Amino acid sequence: MTETHHDVYSKTIFGFLVYLLTDFMMFATLFATFGVLRHSTYGGPSARDLFHLPFTLTQTLILLVSSLTVGLGGAFAHRQQKNKTLILFGITFLLGIVFIGMEFSEYGQLIRQGASWKRSAFLSAYFTLLGTHAIHVFLGLLWMIVLIIPVFLSGLTEASVRRLSCLRMFWQFLNVVWIFIFAIVYVIGVSE
Amino acid sequence: MNSDTSFKLVFVGFFISLLLTLGIYFLGVGHYWSGLTLMSVILVLAGVQAVFQMIYFLHVGIESKPYWNLITFLFMVLVVVVVIGGSIWIMYNLNYNMMM
Repeated sequence: MTETHHDVYSKTIFGFLVYLLTDFMMFATLFATFGVLRHSTYGGPSARDLFHLPFTLTQTLILLVSSLTVGLGGAFAHRQQKNKTLILFGITFLLGIVFIGMEFSEYGQLIRQGASWKRSAFLSAYFTLLGTHAIHVFLGLLWMIVLIIPVFLSGLTEASVRRLSCLRMFWQFLNVVWIFIFAIVYVIGVSE
Repeated sequence: MNSDTSFKLVFVGFFISLLLTLGIYFLGVGHYWSGLTLMSVILVLAGVQAVFQMIYFLHVGIESKPYWNLITFLFMVLVVVVVIGGSIWIMYNLNYNMMM
């Protein structure tokens, strides 16, 4: 019996989901570290002194909207609508750039204030957790460029729809991780 | 699943997430509760939002039998609860017992 395209598709999606779940476990260890060390400021600034919630809310909403646009892009790819797929993945890419730009401007601001990862265990845990998320977003953006160009040049094939689905899942997974960063690191950190 | 279903899922997931995100934010800045109550409410809202996004965006749990996606997801949740809960529990007791 030969494998149908549908089998290849659903096996790939399942395999990719398993990868994402293991990535969640890695983030869980970083969250555990942060949870343990969040009060260990060693006389340095705490979350309340450093973070500005409206800024973070803006970032959160940008990432949430990009999760919507990438979901719509994935659905249009399944419908073989090339232009709409390209536009929505393009919007997602731009939102991702804005998000990561805000992320790095915040790191820059913290470091200029003397609140770098060297200052305290709390800040080391903060930069490790947030830095790992930012690297994921950065790699997601690179991946998006790599996938979009062939779709632009030669249209949506069986393989490119499958790859775009994996990218969509990866991007939405990053948003799920960010919910916890927003809630635990920022909102609980500032209101505590 | 056909693409009409996934359009609907994406929009429903987005609006639920938007409401929960704003809920978390206004609870945080509003000073209605504080301390452990606030922390628990925010963690519950974040957890609910994560579950909604797993279902509506990543389509976990809306497959047909034998539910492999759902089973692996629940296993991940178990491991995460053990890792985070266990670390915080142990380190809290360690801090508590080391204080002179």
